[in-house]
Amino acid sequence: MRWRVVKAVARQCFLEFWRSPQAVFWTYGFPIMMAVVLGFAFQSGQAEPVTIGVVDNKVTRANLAKLEDEPLLVVDWLSPADADRALGRGRVALTVRWSARDDREVLRSDPSRPEAMLARLLVERRLRQASGGEVAYVPPAHEVEDRPGSRYIDFLIPGLIGLNLLGAGMWGVGFNLVQMRVGNLLRRIFVTPMKRSEFLAGYLLGRSVLVIPEAFVIMAFGVLLWGVPFRGSLLAALTLIVVGGWVFTAIGCLLACRARTTETIGGLMNAVQLPMWILGGTFFANEGLEGPMRWAAEVMPLTHVNRALRDVMLEPGTLLDVWVPVVALAVTGVACFSLAMRLFRWQ
Amino acid sequence: MNQAPAIELRALRKTYKKGRELVHAVNGLDLVVGRGEVFGLLGPNGAGKTTTVEICEGLTAPDAGEVRILGKEWGTGADDDIRARIGVCLQETKFQEHATVEEVLKLFRSCFDDGRTVDDALALVSLQEKRSARQKSLSGGQRQRLAVATALLGDPKLLFLDEPTTGLDPQSRRQLWQVVRDYQSQGGTVLLTTHYMDEAHQLCDRVAIVDRGEVIALGSPAELIRSLGAQHFVVVDLVDADAAPDDASFLSISDVSAVERRDARVECTVASVHTALPAVLEMLERRGVEIDGLSTRHATLEDVFVHLTGRHLREGGAA
Ligand SMILES: Nc1ncnc2c1ncn2[C@@H]1O[C@H](COP(=O)(O)OP(=O)(O)OP(=O)(O)O)[C@@H](O)[C@H]1O
Ligand SMILES: [Mg+2]
Repeated sequence: MRWRVVKAVARQCFLEFWRSPQAVFWTYGFPIMMAVVLGFAFQSGQAEPVTIGVVDNKVTRANLAKLEDEPLLVVDWLSPADADRALGRGRVALTVRWSARDDREVLRSDPSRPEAMLARLLVERRLRQASGGEVAYVPPAHEVEDRPGSRYIDFLIPGLIGLNLLGAGMWGVGFNLVQMRVGNLLRRIFVTPMKRSEFLAGYLLGRSVLVIPEAFVIMAFGVLLWGVPFRGSLLAALTLIVVGGWVFTAIGCLLACRARTTETIGGLMNAVQLPMWILGGTFFANEGLEGPMRWAAEVMPLTHVNRALRDVMLEPGTLLDVWVPVVALAVTGVACFSLAMRLFRWQ
Repeated sequence: MNQAPAIELRALRKTYKKGRELVHAVNGLDLVVGRGEVFGLLGPNGAGKTTTVEICEGLTAPDAGEVRILGKEWGTGADDDIRARIGVCLQETKFQEHATVEEVLKLFRSCFDDGRTVDDALALVSLQEKRSARQKSLSGGQRQRLAVATALLGDPKLLFLDEPTTGLDPQSRRQLWQVVRDYQSQGGTVLLTTHYMDEAHQLCDRVAIVDRGEVIALGSPAELIRSLGAQHFVVVDLVDADAAPDDASFLSISDVSAVERRDARVECTVASVHTALPAVLEMLERRGVEIDGLSTRHATLEDVFVHLTGRHLREGGAA
């Protein structure tokens, strides 16, 4: 490998990217914006109220009128048909109707929706009170968890950094490589004495340098705007970001190494990214998953990037604490890159 | 001098599968291009010109046959050596959209250990004023000249130009021809493809007419035209196509050896214009046929192609 060539390729690939405002926006600007918006959405400690549908009749009016005082519930009084439709469309989390035959209320909901469970508990409590069963009951006091480091936003920000490394790393590299193939530029380069290692190394370098500043922008937003703690070592965070960016860049390169059309590469990237979006531990902890889902989550690089970033930000983690995932991720990146080198097609 | 030819192709074959059909893109082609020659591959669309050139460039692997470039074979450990000594201009290359002319050249220059400076290459194709223009703002001709400049950066011994002037205006074409001539005068060898007869005639020392993957004629443009025997044409435009005399009336004139018509135009192949022309005019006069226009022309490489295949170059070959 001649460093002179790597540098020339890297420079040119970076410039090409930098001069294309749309590419910069969609690869780096938009994800930062999304992180900011999500941060705002999730930083308030206020819980969203749940809407339920109650089939309007004399008995339900009598038993459940008090539910309207419940701050976490919004009550819709509906006809039986409307209640069914509202439940089907997800406009209400649960329906309540009076069954004359059974002489009691019937609650209907899909238990896989988390807010349905909340609604059910609240409605049952109200019904118990209405039947006079809780005269001596003193409700417990409730505290809102708002200490820095334990809120959802604190959980979310390291995950968003991981997610952005994933998106920017893969899109920044993969798509353009296929465009160069489509435009015959790769074939033109192939007939020069440039080696594929020189080209690919320069290309990855040039296209991925922006990944690191982007991750730090999101981190800065989190720390300065929402008070997300940063308790570990900055060096460890930097290492994780570099290694995370590297592994996703290498995966993007692997996906693009043979794709012949931009449609193919778009589809491939989505197919690889979507499972990581869902299971990679960005929006919710994936430690609680079971069976094959757990297994899949543990294989995903994003899981380990996110976990290690949380160790470094939310806990006083140092490089020593995260060296295992750092090495594992780096090795994964090297494996993907070597495979990409092997499989790479100029035409 | 004991130098291998620039290009040697023997019994070259390349077949593509198109669905269930087999397309013989190159079908047993032999060719030797000597050092210092400008050699043209002339043929209709789909004749196999690009396939042949790309086999020479090492971009496409042939199914059978021998390829020797500057005395070396692809895939025998000499690939980088060959690449360092050839210059390539593909039929179509999109350089990075936002890159300037100078940047494209610098990028390609970086991978050659020896070669020309970027300034030299710019001067060769007269693109100095466009040095900092981006791809988007270049005209087709300027883009093509840039592509040629990238091919010249490594100071190659052998230059491949695949349809370098297709779609260019006459002035840009002539500029590119000059680039090729200058390169040749410095000792370079060129293999170019084209479907412009005049280009082949003006530029090439020798041409191979290629059809359906085979060389059907080979020689200098002048030789090929001479091989037709009759070298002139009398072209008559009639006022009324329906009033045209039949072929036999033209052929009864002893100098006319063939007749071809397109609408109201009749083209007679003749050995010598000065005897045939009065006879043709006299025959038309006698029949009272009105003439709208009259011209004569020399035979061209196109006529050679028509003579050999019965088709025109622009009609497409691989039908
Ligand atoms: N990659 C390919 N896959 C399938 N068929 C191909 C491929 N490349 C070329 N062909 C076919 O091989 C034949 C020769 O193509 P080639 O590009 O060599 O022609 P050409 O003489 O360069 O034509 P043109 O003047 O249009 O550039 C054509 O019929 C073409 O359709
Ligand atoms: Mg072609």
